[in-house]
Amino acid sequence: MTDAHHHAATDPLAHPEVQQASAAAYISAYVLTVGLLGVGLFMTERHLVTPHSLIPVIAAFAIFLLVAQSLLFLGLDVSHSNIWKTVSLMLTVPLFILSIGLTVWMFHSLDHLVMSPEMPGMSLQPGTLQ
Amino acid sequence: MLVHLQGPWSPWFGRLTLGDIPYTNPVIIFAFLFTVVAGIALAVPVLYYRKLGYIFREWLCSVDHKKIGVMYIILGLVMMFRGFIDGMMIRTQQVTADGPHSPGFLSAQHGYLPPAHFDQIYSSHGTLMIIFAVGPILTGLGNIIVPLQIGARDMAFPRMNAISLWLSVSGAMLIMASLFIGDFSTAGWVGLIPLTELPYSPSVGVDYWMWALQISSIGTTLNAINIITTIIAMRAPGMRWDRLPIFTWTTLSTNIIGLTAFPILGVALALLGADRYLGTHFFTGGQGGNLMLYTDLFWIWGHPEVYFLVLPAFGIISEIIPTFSEKPLFGYTTMVAATFAIAGVAWAVWLHHFFTMGAGPWVNTFFSVATMLVGIPTGVKVFNWILTMYRGRITYTTPMLWSVSAILMLLIGGLTGIMLANPAINYTVHNSVFVIAHFHCMVLLIAFAIFAAIIYWFPKVFGFRLDEHSSKRFFIFFVLGTVTVFTAMFALGFMGETRRLDYLYDPQWLPLLIVEEIGIVFYCISVGYFFRMLYVSIRDRGRNQCGADPWGTARTLEFLTHSPVPFYNFAVTPHVNALDELAWRRANGHADTPPDHYEPVHMPNSSMIPVIIGVLSFGFGFGMVWRIWWMAGFSLLAIIALIILGSFMPDPGYTISPEEMREMEAQHRAPGIMADSHPPHPAAEERLV
Amino acid sequence: MSAPKSTAGGAVQLWEYQPKPHDPVSTKTLGFWLYMLSDALIFAGLFAAYGVLDQPMNAAGGPTAMQVVHPVAAFWQTLAVLTSVLAYSLATVALKAGSRAGVALGILAAMALGLVFLGLELNDFVTLFAMGATPERSGFLSVFFVLIASHGLHMAFGLLWMLVMLVQIMRFGFTTEVVTRLLSLRLFWQFQASVWVCVYVFVYLKGIVP
Repeated sequence: MTDAHHHAATDPLAHPEVQQASAAAYISAYVLTVGLLGVGLFMTERHLVTPHSLIPVIAAFAIFLLVAQSLLFLGLDVSHSNIWKTVSLMLTVPLFILSIGLTVWMFHSLDHLVMSPEMPGMSLQPGTLQ
Repeated sequence: MLVHLQGPWSPWFGRLTLGDIPYTNPVIIFAFLFTVVAGIALAVPVLYYRKLGYIFREWLCSVDHKKIGVMYIILGLVMMFRGFIDGMMIRTQQVTADGPHSPGFLSAQHGYLPPAHFDQIYSSHGTLMIIFAVGPILTGLGNIIVPLQIGARDMAFPRMNAISLWLSVSGAMLIMASLFIGDFSTAGWVGLIPLTELPYSPSVGVDYWMWALQISSIGTTLNAINIITTIIAMRAPGMRWDRLPIFTWTTLSTNIIGLTAFPILGVALALLGADRYLGTHFFTGGQGGNLMLYTDLFWIWGHPEVYFLVLPAFGIISEIIPTFSEKPLFGYTTMVAATFAIAGVAWAVWLHHFFTMGAGPWVNTFFSVATMLVGIPTGVKVFNWILTMYRGRITYTTPMLWSVSAILMLLIGGLTGIMLANPAINYTVHNSVFVIAHFHCMVLLIAFAIFAAIIYWFPKVFGFRLDEHSSKRFFIFFVLGTVTVFTAMFALGFMGETRRLDYLYDPQWLPLLIVEEIGIVFYCISVGYFFRMLYVSIRDRGRNQCGADPWGTARTLEFLTHSPVPFYNFAVTPHVNALDELAWRRANGHADTPPDHYEPVHMPNSSMIPVIIGVLSFGFGFGMVWRIWWMAGFSLLAIIALIILGSFMPDPGYTISPEEMREMEAQHRAPGIMADSHPPHPAAEERLV
Repeated sequence: MSAPKSTAGGAVQLWEYQPKPHDPVSTKTLGFWLYMLSDALIFAGLFAAYGVLDQPMNAAGGPTAMQVVHPVAAFWQTLAVLTSVLAYSLATVALKAGSRAGVALGILAAMALGLVFLGLELNDFVTLFAMGATPERSGFLSVFFVLIASHGLHMAFGLLWMLVMLVQIMRFGFTTEVVTRLLSLRLFWQFQASVWVCVYVFVYLKGIVP
């Protein structure tokens, strides 16, 4: 902020973050995302693999797409103007895995112990739409 | 979608009726009169000396990081005072309500507080102390000290900094409003579920608690963005990462937590809000809700929040001990590593707040081991501090006394924490006051560090030292109170006293409850000395004036510039040559070398927008609490409109010319924090917006 | 106890009279990026809640994911949001060339597609409401609607931001402030595509896996 004044004289369009825009990268991110989600949809709708292995497969698709989008759409790299964005994202990813993963794990374990279907009153079946 | 509520509702006033003002409750009337008298005591001198314009212009509209920090600390101290009174009332209630034959006063059967009122008091005690006292004070310290320590002129986003402050103030004001209009939550500061659900808490208390937390946590997140960006992008030349002062490191780590943990609190509260306002079933008992999900989300934030508070306290201790041991900090690198290790492990321990949920042995073991791991980096820190003092030339100034006691508190709190990390022990003492005593030791260690920091950095900001005589007495009585109350409380925990009791059934607890009450008397004396310290120091401020380094042995960059710090921080940006730059300059005979000439300095202008956003966010919160939809809607739209409007008016800032700077520096009349900080620039006055 | 050593030889530099100016664009986009990481953790909280409440018992006898999600219909939403993100991204390619018309056109296209996305989502909600699948029905439906609506709210906010930027481009041209905001908005809009990938895979696709 303080020294922004002196810098404002230079052309903002020459900034590396403007200059890194790339039609090729954006279009490939687009094609990859649409394509892979399309394949995921096809696999799910047509039951191409067993439900048990389908979840890991589409989860892998999602993770692959998130990485691809970070590189191609968000343009993350280790250049001077982007390095801290990349570092902060790398530091945040484990927090995602911990907060979602540990939550799901502990509730899975909890449900297994205290919400077992064999227990009385636990046989509630999902109904259908009216 | 909207939940249909029982009771009156009108379009203009929502649920608010005259009956919601508790004018029949003597305790609240007393609190109200106290607030009014305090308000008048503040307002009269302001009006008499015609300082209203000054306060508005120089403080409420300020974007200066030091003034914002000072206002954060004032907010925190005021809230801490209220939280202290709550604590005093809790202890007094318990000592008067022990055993079936205990007397009842006012409208209470036992003691002097009926259960619903007592429940509000412990809820507000926790909420105030953690969210609105300790949090803002540490944020304020970070605001003041971090830019100075890294040699910056201001934060990366000065206007957003002011917005953060006013959002915190607005949250605190909502809690103050709950004292006199309506009631406060009775569900504890954690929001015990499903008690916070509408059927069990139909009044506005939970809404007050929820919106106060929500609004102030947005402020915390914005502040975290600001501090992290400032530390990354605004460091002075030569301030490499391996030269970053340790307080700046801890503030960085704490704000990484602030940035990433507070959104989860936002989610927990928003989903609770959806249950209360829209009738969803996230945490309800029936209809497929899962009430443990709330507890889970709350503590995903809640545990990192504990480290959010304790890490800057560690940073403060790490600054003060080297200064008064006249030695560099022992193990700088391990200290930084330990800080980030604690911050990292903070994310994998939260289930230890509800081991008794029954998630099973594997889950409990994982979280138990992770919790115990925290002991390792914390132990590293303790040894580093002790080894810093070892063979040092120690001066026992008050900041040093507070810091050394904080280490002892950390030891007691930490070791009992390791005990609680063991699920087998946890099942036994869970929900007893043993837990309360444990976490009070931890929070009081933070309070100790806060008082150390206030006394240590006060002369830097205001230009005169605090009176050592009364501040030592303040210290002695505060520590005495702490030891007396919480030693007895540990014992009561083992004797089976559970938390949050407005009536205690076992008369055998009475002797220890009386001991606790004696501790409260010590606390009261210490508060008296605190006010005396302020009074004497301000009275004798002419005698206690100090130079750039009030302690003579300070080591870091903030003590290089004048005391009080001028509004531009450094006349010329310092070039950093070493870790502990000031100590390096002193050792090499450069400590008093001034710059030989000056360059133009560019500064941001004040702005009215942040304080208006603060007022509007209070309006939004109040409107939502009482379901006055027009007020909430108008405030929200006005905030959005103001932000858009502000984006059309970029701040060109103003420039201090080298001549002006030379004049200010040469005559040693660099304006301090209390003076009009605006430069002699006519244009700056008109550009408040 | 040794004092810090002086730098070997030569004069020491104590003051930086002409500090290298901070980069105002990257400082602001970094600040905005940090906000987005924080926002991403809001979604982490919501996905964690979804993971917990996406169980048969949380449907409380009402419809389960299987009965409320339609991945084929939602694929049109996927196309709309991704094409919108692509349009905005191409606008930033035009920004590189300094073309005001190109940027404005890209933003307008992104807004139109964003509106299509929100229209489809709203239509989906209306259909579900008409079937009696409302957020009040069960814990599962609560989290389903709140998760999707949170993403929708972000999209709506992005559209408002784009409108403001259109005005600012016309009024100020490509000043440092405007360019910085356009870059931040690019991050924000592309982030919505990433969130949608998670929503589509973990809510829509996983929803029909038996």
